Amino acid sequence: MISRRALELATAVLTGSFGVAVVVQSLDNGIGWSSAGVDSGTFPFLTGIIIVLGSLYNLVRGVLPVASLANVPIAITPIELRRIAGLFVPAAIFVAAIPLAGIYLASAGYIFAVLAIPRHQSVPRALAMALATAIGLYVVFERMFQVSLPHGALAAALGL
Amino acid sequence: MGGTSKLLLSAAVAVLAGTVPALSAWQPQKPIEFIATAGPGGGTDNIARAVQNIITKYKLTDQPIVVVNKGGGSGAEGYVYGKASAGDPYKVIFGTSNAWQQPLVSKVAFNYTDLTPIAAMAQDEFLLWVKQDSPIKTAGDYLKAAASGDFKMGGAQSKDTDEVLTRMIEKAGQIKLTYIPFKSGAETAVQLAGGHLDSHVNNPSESLGQWRGGTQRPLCVFSPKRLPQGAKVTATEGWGDVPTCAEQGLDVKQYEQPRTVWLPGKVTPDQAAFYVDLMKKVQATPEWKDYIEKTSQVETFLTGAEFDKFIKDDLEHVRLVAGEQGWLVK
Amino acid sequence: MDNLGELLHGFTIAVTVPHLALMVIGVLLGILVGVLPGLGAPNGVSLLLPLTFGMQPVSAIILLSSMYWGALFGGSVTSILFNIPGEPSSVATTFDGYPMARDGRPTTALATAFGSAAFGALIGVILITFLASWVAQVALAFGPAEYFAVYFLAFASFVGMGGAAPIKTVVALAIGFAIAAIGIDTVSGSVRLTMGVDELVKGVNFVVAVMGLFGIGELLVAVEEEFHARAVSSKIDWREVFRAVGRLPRHGVALLRSAAIGCWMGITPGGPTAASFMSYGIARRFSRRGRYFGTGEVEGIISPETADHAAGTSALLPMLALGIPGSATAAVMMGGLMIWGLNPGPMLFVDQKDFVWGLIASMYVGNIVAVVLVLLTVPVFAALMRIPFVVIAPLIVIICVVGAYSVSNSYLDVVMMLGFGVVGYLFKKLFYPLAPLVLAIVIGDKAEDAFRQSMLMSKGSLAIFFANKLVTCLIVAGIVLLLLPLVLQLAHLFRKPAPPTNETTAQEKVII
Repeated sequence: MISRRALELATAVLTGSFGVAVVVQSLDNGIGWSSAGVDSGTFPFLTGIIIVLGSLYNLVRGVLPVASLANVPIAITPIELRRIAGLFVPAAIFVAAIPLAGIYLASAGYIFAVLAIPRHQSVPRALAMALATAIGLYVVFERMFQVSLPHGALAAALGL
Repeated sequence: MGGTSKLLLSAAVAVLAGTVPALSAWQPQKPIEFIATAGPGGGTDNIARAVQNIITKYKLTDQPIVVVNKGGGSGAEGYVYGKASAGDPYKVIFGTSNAWQQPLVSKVAFNYTDLTPIAAMAQDEFLLWVKQDSPIKTAGDYLKAAASGDFKMGGAQSKDTDEVLTRMIEKAGQIKLTYIPFKSGAETAVQLAGGHLDSHVNNPSESLGQWRGGTQRPLCVFSPKRLPQGAKVTATEGWGDVPTCAEQGLDVKQYEQPRTVWLPGKVTPDQAAFYVDLMKKVQATPEWKDYIEKTSQVETFLTGAEFDKFIKDDLEHVRLVAGEQGWLVK
Repeated sequence: MDNLGELLHGFTIAVTVPHLALMVIGVLLGILVGVLPGLGAPNGVSLLLPLTFGMQPVSAIILLSSMYWGALFGGSVTSILFNIPGEPSSVATTFDGYPMARDGRPTTALATAFGSAAFGALIGVILITFLASWVAQVALAFGPAEYFAVYFLAFASFVGMGGAAPIKTVVALAIGFAIAAIGIDTVSGSVRLTMGVDELVKGVNFVVAVMGLFGIGELLVAVEEEFHARAVSSKIDWREVFRAVGRLPRHGVALLRSAAIGCWMGITPGGPTAASFMSYGIARRFSRRGRYFGTGEVEGIISPETADHAAGTSALLPMLALGIPGSATAAVMMGGLMIWGLNPGPMLFVDQKDFVWGLIASMYVGNIVAVVLVLLTVPVFAALMRIPFVVIAPLIVIICVVGAYSVSNSYLDVVMMLGFGVVGYLFKKLFYPLAPLVLAIVIGDKAEDAFRQSMLMSKGSLAIFFANKLVTCLIVAGIVLLLLPLVLQLAHLFRKPAPPTNETTAQEKVII
């Protein structure tokens, strides 16, 4: 179970640290006015400061027991969390598999896994859909529009 | 999922077996990627596509060619990609002189030494342009007017070819110009037509339509001799009628932008030789001549030691200007 | 009216059997590349370009421009059905199109979008026909200061309103600006904000950000709400297509206003993206049902779609008349023009009358062909909504991954897209508004460039933004639009001493 407050805090910390990174990086580019006009770091610096200040405000609001936040103490219930993970984790594994397996193999495996393992579809149907996806991608992208998608290290090792 | 790979594998093997030519030296065995270090429609993209079309039309290689645009970061995206593909002879990078100029003035994560130079295939000329109704008629007038007035010079990108040339003009003419960078030469041309700038240094193809349409005209060309005559652009004048800047008293004798072709680093000499040969064949076709003429470029072919020398000379030149301007990255 | 005579002559060129056939082929191919995220009109155009070298230039441009129309229409399909905008200009369509489709009315949403898009395009073509030379002159009046003023106006009309917590809006906007600044800076040539990742020198592409923020983010929200449990029972009803189009005239004011905004932003350098956002923002402010925007309002679809197509069409004029391409596709087409031996620019209208007027006439015919074909496909696309969520969800993930990858063949983009998905989910969950973030990513760096170019010209004096009538009007209009909601809110505040907090859940429902 994740409370609304924890989620607000985490997001504010996330945006805040992005803001800090922006501020630090923009200092490299120089801020202010030079012979070449407004220095390239000026605008990122200002936006970075705004992000940091805004995130601090959101952080404080998240910590303080403000009435509106008390209305929704729970942001994500355990069941919801499981559902989200059920979608996101396979997707992340799919993306992680692309450099090695290539997009065709990875997407076929991904479709097969998410359809067959939770028994949403029968194994042969899931297999058919997986193959159709990979072949469809290949025909449309690689053949019709000559957009080359990643083939993966495995294909390269096999000399494809 | 195993089925797919096997299917694709066997299909690919069948395709390969049918098309492998007699092996003399190195020959490509899979599709070749042309990386244009510019967005679609830019000069570098056009040359990559022109070369692709010629190769496909004359079947100069059996393998298909795909053009990929990696124009982010003024082309740095494409060069960084080339650096990351070291040893891969199926990536051909099309660029300009920014392959060696950009690392000098910008903290980009590549240098031209990370790539294998193949050739410089064409040279784009630079001209000095003013608005059609400007009172300035010659480069001499321009220098005089700029010395007393506050002149705005437009150009594509910052610390790139256009600005380098602007600084060279400043030095040669002992004047001070305010340089205003835009995204592209086309954008700069429109800004001049609208009277927001006093001049720019566009390539011929970037301002051809504008000259013909009577919104701006060239004063002089930064080249040792006048351009080939060719067809008339306006009713009375063609490229050959534009005087050189040097003859009008603006002492910048030569300034050109080569269109360059590269392979990633760490490829074998055989592989590089294949592409040098391929580009030579492309250059011998009538379609190439046609492309060069339509885009008002100058044909050239530099490779090997000649190309190296060209890079070194240009680098020397740019380093001088960049050093004076305080652009060099530490 | 010699333009009318020229146009009639143009029609005799465009309305021939081979040219009509080319239009049908072009439009169908365009719909295909438009619907598939990751492919876009530039892909289609570059694919067809080599085929056109043997053709007459006018036939070639008819084929390519028809494909452009098809792609523009097709681009709205995924925005409405799956909340994945394939192009910057169709982001605003998702705000009301997707909620409507999810409510079980995908046919209505698609038909409304296509109908109003066709209307916008038509107004754009009429503008090109009769005001070509005037329009070209207007575009020339825009220097950096005027560019900045236009972008400022677009921001002002969109930001500074809505129910989101103000500080969260500001944070979202600032993050958008920072993301837009990543990569090489045009004005100084230096590398910014790459966070130590070399590849980021290319910047963060809009498509990568939007696929994650909208596509994946929405998917996560949907799965959490178990949206698939209440499956969409969309009836395939052909008659609804015509009923939806038939209802459009009732929203005549919105149509005309949006078309006017679209044409204006198309001629000035604002472009279709700024046009659709601005039109949506203004519609929300002035529509009687403005507070329901974001929940599937008809005018929330009409406004961005009409403006997008009006701008997209009228933006072709600067390309022909001045040689500035308004979009990547226009740029590829311009490359084509040069290869066919034509030079875009002022002389095209004098030298190549047949070509120009044949093209303009084909815009009328091509758009009609496109809207007919695309309306016929509505039931097919609407049927996609009946695919069970468990099947469509992984397919959407694959579409987003392939789409993000093919932007610049980069694996890093895929990873970033997934990251944006998480951010999109968090923002949606916590009511950070996404629209200002996206708008800032799209036109943030352009606005910054224009501002700094102006500063170079004026040597640091802000007076350049009040130097002539045009730029002064634009800036003043922007300031008024920006301050209007603030003034209204203040007036409200004085009347009621205890204002309700901005973050009540009731209000949060309507935040986009």
